[in-house]
Amino acid sequence: MKKIFLLFSLLLMTGFLVIGQTSLVTGKVTSSEDGTELPGVFVTVKGTTLGTITGPDGKFSLQVPSAGRTLVFSFVGYVTQEQAISGRNVIDVVLQQDLFNVDEVVVVAYGTAQKRDVAGAISTVSGGDIAKMNLQSFDQALAGKAAGVSITLPNGVLNNPPVIRIRGFNSITSSSNPLVVVDGVPVFTGNIGGTAIQNSLADINPSDIQSMEILKDASATALYGSRAANGVILITTKRGSGVKTKVTYDGFAGWTEPYRLFDLMNAEQYLAHKNLAYANAGSSVVLQQVNGPDGKPVDTNWADYVYQKGFQHSHAITVSGSSPSTSYFLSVGYTDQDGMVKKNFYNRKNARMNMDHKVTKFLSIGASVAYTNGYTESPNTGSSFATAGAARLAFVLPPIIGPYLPDGSYNLAGGTIAGMGTGLAAGGLGYHNPAQIMATNKHTTDSDRLLATLSASLEPFKGFVLKTVYGMDNLARETTTFWHPIGGDGYSYGGYAYNWTGKDKRWTWTNTANYNLTVADRLNLGLLAGLENQRTVSRSWNATKTGVSDPLFETFAGPWTTAYGVPGGGYGENFYSSYFGRITANWDKKYYLEGSLRRDGYSGLSKDNKWGNFGGVSFMWNVANEGFIANSGLNDIFSDMRLKLSYGRVGNMFGISNYGSLFLYSFSLYGDLPTLYFSQAGNADLKWETSDKYDVGLSFGLLNDRLQADLNYFYNDVNNLILNVPQSPSKGIPGNSIPANVGSMFNKGFEFSLTSYNITRPNFNWTTNFNFTALKNEVTELAPGVEEIRTSTADLETTNITMVGLPVGNILAVETRGVDPATGFRIFVNAAGQEVLYNHAATNKWTYRSDGNVAPAISTATDAVAWASPLPKYYGGLDNNLEFRGFDVALNMTYAFGFYVYAGSKAGIRDQRWWNNSVEVYETAWKKPGDITNIPKPIINDNISNGSAFPITENVEKGDYLKIRNLSAGYTFKNILPGVMNIERIRIYGQVFNAFVFTKYSGSDPEVSTNTDSNLAPGIDRNTAPQARTYTFGVNVSF
Amino acid sequence: MKKTIKGSIILALILLITGCTKDEWMNPVPITSVYDQFAFDTKARIEEQVNGIYSSLKSGQHLGGRFQIYNDVRCDNFLPRSSNLVTNFATWNHTVISSTNEVQNLWGAIYSTVNTVNLFLEGIEAAWSGGKLDGVITQAEYDQYRAEALAVRAICYFDLVQMYSKPYHMGNGANRGVPLRLTANKTREGNDMAPSTVAQVYDQILNDLNDAEPFAKADFSNTSLNITRVHRNTIIAYKTRVYLHMHDWDAVVTESAKIVPDAAPFTAKSGVAHALNASYMATFASPNVTKESIFSLPHTSSSNPGTQNFLAHYYQKGSSESYYLVTGPGSLYATMDATDVRKTSMETASSKVYIMKYTDRSTRTDWSPVIRWAEVLLNRSEALVRAGNAVTQEAVDLLNAVRTRSFATGAYTLASFATIDDFINAILLERNMEFLGEGIRNMDLMRTGLAIPSKSSPDFGTVGAILPTAQSYFWPVPDSELSYNKLMTP
Repeated sequence: MKKIFLLFSLLLMTGFLVIGQTSLVTGKVTSSEDGTELPGVFVTVKGTTLGTITGPDGKFSLQVPSAGRTLVFSFVGYVTQEQAISGRNVIDVVLQQDLFNVDEVVVVAYGTAQKRDVAGAISTVSGGDIAKMNLQSFDQALAGKAAGVSITLPNGVLNNPPVIRIRGFNSITSSSNPLVVVDGVPVFTGNIGGTAIQNSLADINPSDIQSMEILKDASATALYGSRAANGVILITTKRGSGVKTKVTYDGFAGWTEPYRLFDLMNAEQYLAHKNLAYANAGSSVVLQQVNGPDGKPVDTNWADYVYQKGFQHSHAITVSGSSPSTSYFLSVGYTDQDGMVKKNFYNRKNARMNMDHKVTKFLSIGASVAYTNGYTESPNTGSSFATAGAARLAFVLPPIIGPYLPDGSYNLAGGTIAGMGTGLAAGGLGYHNPAQIMATNKHTTDSDRLLATLSASLEPFKGFVLKTVYGMDNLARETTTFWHPIGGDGYSYGGYAYNWTGKDKRWTWTNTANYNLTVADRLNLGLLAGLENQRTVSRSWNATKTGVSDPLFETFAGPWTTAYGVPGGGYGENFYSSYFGRITANWDKKYYLEGSLRRDGYSGLSKDNKWGNFGGVSFMWNVANEGFIANSGLNDIFSDMRLKLSYGRVGNMFGISNYGSLFLYSFSLYGDLPTLYFSQAGNADLKWETSDKYDVGLSFGLLNDRLQADLNYFYNDVNNLILNVPQSPSKGIPGNSIPANVGSMFNKGFEFSLTSYNITRPNFNWTTNFNFTALKNEVTELAPGVEEIRTSTADLETTNITMVGLPVGNILAVETRGVDPATGFRIFVNAAGQEVLYNHAATNKWTYRSDGNVAPAISTATDAVAWASPLPKYYGGLDNNLEFRGFDVALNMTYAFGFYVYAGSKAGIRDQRWWNNSVEVYETAWKKPGDITNIPKPIINDNISNGSAFPITENVEKGDYLKIRNLSAGYTFKNILPGVMNIERIRIYGQVFNAFVFTKYSGSDPEVSTNTDSNLAPGIDRNTAPQARTYTFGVNVSF
Repeated sequence: MKKTIKGSIILALILLITGCTKDEWMNPVPITSVYDQFAFDTKARIEEQVNGIYSSLKSGQHLGGRFQIYNDVRCDNFLPRSSNLVTNFATWNHTVISSTNEVQNLWGAIYSTVNTVNLFLEGIEAAWSGGKLDGVITQAEYDQYRAEALAVRAICYFDLVQMYSKPYHMGNGANRGVPLRLTANKTREGNDMAPSTVAQVYDQILNDLNDAEPFAKADFSNTSLNITRVHRNTIIAYKTRVYLHMHDWDAVVTESAKIVPDAAPFTAKSGVAHALNASYMATFASPNVTKESIFSLPHTSSSNPGTQNFLAHYYQKGSSESYYLVTGPGSLYATMDATDVRKTSMETASSKVYIMKYTDRSTRTDWSPVIRWAEVLLNRSEALVRAGNAVTQEAVDLLNAVRTRSFATGAYTLASFATIDDFINAILLERNMEFLGEGIRNMDLMRTGLAIPSKSSPDFGTVGAILPTAQSYFWPVPDSELSYNKLMTP
């Protein structure tokens, strides 16, 4: 505390100014575009804090001290200009429009800065770019928009939180997701629903966002200390501006549908194929064709009962404006969307009010209040192995049975879909009837979110600003489940209702002091010191009822016979306390030096480890501002050239639970009796994961900034990774693991981004943005004695392995080498490298290919190998935006190369149990000696040969793709009905999201992820719902 | 300077308001769990920890359901309706390997209970010898809690060697057993531990049971607690099972003699007065509290083994993942007399026959039987004959007591048995009928060195017999143990 006072005192002492003799300077500022006067232009005396603003006529007058030599003119959207006074009393200035965003102001940690003054690696994405993609949340739209940022949508279910990775996977067991800060306040992220998934970031309407800054290196993120290791996304919402009240309406409507579904056998093919498989097994079973309710032979396409064309529409109205002392931004939004999966539905109602007011010359206050109600319904789309999983049911169920029996009732036996007399299990196949569960079951999430900030800033003298910001993020939500007793999950319960209600409350109070000054006309200094406290409390409770008295009632509140289980509940709290400071300095805008420090305390750590120090330094050399460039004529080519170096150490605390350091006993029940049991082997030595980040960058502008490029090389050395160190199961430790800071890994790579203003004519604009990232991840250390970490998908299939010397989360599979042409059996390769054949029909199923002798059974445990990495080596995006007269066209592409995907669903559609198979199986399965094929001889109930029992390399595929993420075309009408409606502009447009994928991957989309956010098990496509293609047509109107 | 002063005052105010970190926020005390150092502070917490040991034992992965289910479905009486691997299809067709979930989960669940016991024993012993429990619990309570914990540990180790090692009678216990964890684990130390031999594990089981016996409560004077917690007769009954597996017939006779009277009615002569129920199915009827049950694990809708773990999920006719009886020629079902209650109590649905011992699929409240009085009587009967190498009237009476309850006209006489083998076969058959669905069948096959017979499903084909010499006669050690315990051997 003492040190901070000292720092402030120092800061304050430099704060007085010497003002001597002055002279009056007047003038007028006009625009280069059309010569109109520009009101609101800032005119300041360089090296001082003296300044004024031009009036409505573009005129200004200013008392300039005799020491003042230069005036600086700055205005949003125009290139800042300096004029030497040189004894003049009238200075008229023509400002050049900033066509190439040279003077862009970017948001940085706890402040703003001119883009070209920032040494840290920051990518900026404009809110408009995001909003126009018509997605539920801004994070989904970030794909391909910024170098180093990878966004993966796990599937096409509405509003699924995407997997965000900034410069790669930076952890193993902790989250690799970035910190998200909205208007200065860290907010809750991730899925806030149960079965009905809801992205908490969708509570921020994308159309309310002004800009997004993605902070990537340690110099940019250091002020977020222990939470900065995965990068930081800063969201700035819109504020009011302009004298005139501005009203906008944005609306769109459209539909969404799945794409690239599997091509499956029809009833005729299924019967032929499965009966052959029975015969090949020596079985006399023959499956039969039966008739359905319509009296015709059953031939069901189950996808018809799972997927749909989902209609959507959305509306947002904003009103904004300002007076000299007050500015405001108001918005309301309404979104209503049906998903590509039946019964998947999302509804959002939101309102926002942002307001800023200048109370006195030195005191300003601001407030923003945003309320969002989100409501989601979703069936269990069940990635992985759930027998209720709709995505799986769409391709696993046989076409020879239907959802309804001839009498019109659901085809159910024992709660599950049954054979209908075809010869398939009459007592139920164990899988749910999608028609029934879609019609009768319900999962919902309903959330109320209040995000609010209140701020005040005091500027007791020019350049010195004290600011206090109090922010709160209150999230209340309810998730419910209703399962009908007629079949499916609710059958054995006689109906089932579950309600979960939770409240998460967080407040953040930040106080900063900021002082900017210029010394000796050339040394620009910025000093920042601050304090921040943040407390989060989460409470929840839940209860279950079973045995619905009357299935007409679908809610927990309805009539039920049994209170099922003891109602549950949860409580958690954590607290951060932080001190931070930053010094920025530049000499004549040539040499930049910046240093940041943050000291964080976190309640979840043990007493001795509560506090940690983080920080970063950076250096930047603006070569273009050197005389030898400026005077050599080289600046005609190089309009900008900056070299950057940075280093910093930041932390990751997302893996440390609220009470992770403690040894705990928890309560439970033994019959009716209360129990206490050892539930957590804590670790008092637990501390943050640390990232040492190094970054070398070069930014340059060519041809008068028409081309702007950034190159960065980065190296991120991650240490103290928290690993759940596996324990011998015989030790009986809860969860068979104890967390400890034991692992290390690194990410290194190269980023390149290029913005090219190809054409900038008044009626014709063409801009290209391209970015490219090359990334290498390698695990360098795991826990002592642990050579590998195997990770399973849904606890049922071991699919990934993490080992020292390899990237995190490799796909683990048993090598296969096609099908033996002579016998039609799959060729497996065992740990010793020997080829082994599998014949499901034989007593000795495994035999060596070489001599036919009996071989030990192949298993993941003994024979699987770390086969390939699911992490893309190269990825990025390419955007083209064209405007010609009123027309506009935008093409956004994303790509990723050099990675593999475990096409686990392929194991399913080739499985030789009663499951339906792909047409490929029907057409190309081995039939006679000499056949060269990838699909072995079908033998009924063979779940080994095609990879259902354990993953095989036959089902590991290259994931390389190029995707037309978004394609839009629009036309803008300007100044319609002047004097009557005063419509400034109307834009009508149509667009397609996920328009097309170029890939050799056989599944729906190589981007899917069954294990969503997992670091240890990425790249798995196991019974996952496909991606969705969305068509929308909309209108943007502004008055 | 005025401005500077003004700024400083405001700054100081802000610092004052926010600067002092709230200590209780920085050091939160969990409000939903108990710090380990407070776990032995009150009698209620100690008693709750004892319950916690039982609760761990009744995990759905172990004696809450799956252990009994494994020991039935891997044998010859049941066929699956589903090929779902989650519901023990691999156990049924003997394709479990070291990475199979059943193999990993059972091992983990049992050792979790072992560690719970060890933590409790070390904790209570330290608190007791440190005088912390003076006035909290009495010496008798201290002894009794320890006895219960030791008995549970013995049950755990018995179940471990039974599933993961060769039977005792092969090589007289010289084969590879399991690691004997007898101290508490709560840190990262001590991953490596070599397995003891089967004989060493049996020694430990008997040590624990013998240590516990004198201190266990004779009678809880509470019909429910007498079934759900270990008392002296539970320990003696369990010892008859352990010695039977060791082929120590004399010891079975000696132990059973402590509680089984010489002649009918066979009501326990000391401790809790166990006896056969008049009705066979009464033992399994709600509320599951009868004099016949010696040790069962209680389930309620709030405390049950969980989805796909509870007994009714596997045996109730309505479940699509249930197991139904083999009924063809030569099957146990075909052998059973048409009037036998154990057969008449079964139900047929879609021409499949199901046992009806566990029926509550909606709230999963059927208790899981661990040992009951009928087993003690049959253990004694078998041991009497094997020990004396002669069929005695007492042995026949004991057998008849169990048999005629359900099959009134089926009484045996001495003359029914020409040889000792005839009698042993009769008693094994009786046990097979009596304990269907209670997890005894596999134990009986293994302890007598019999092959696991083949079976044939109309849906899933034929599964061949497993000879005692086969690797799959017992389960492999799980992968995870082999990976992280460097001294463990397959």
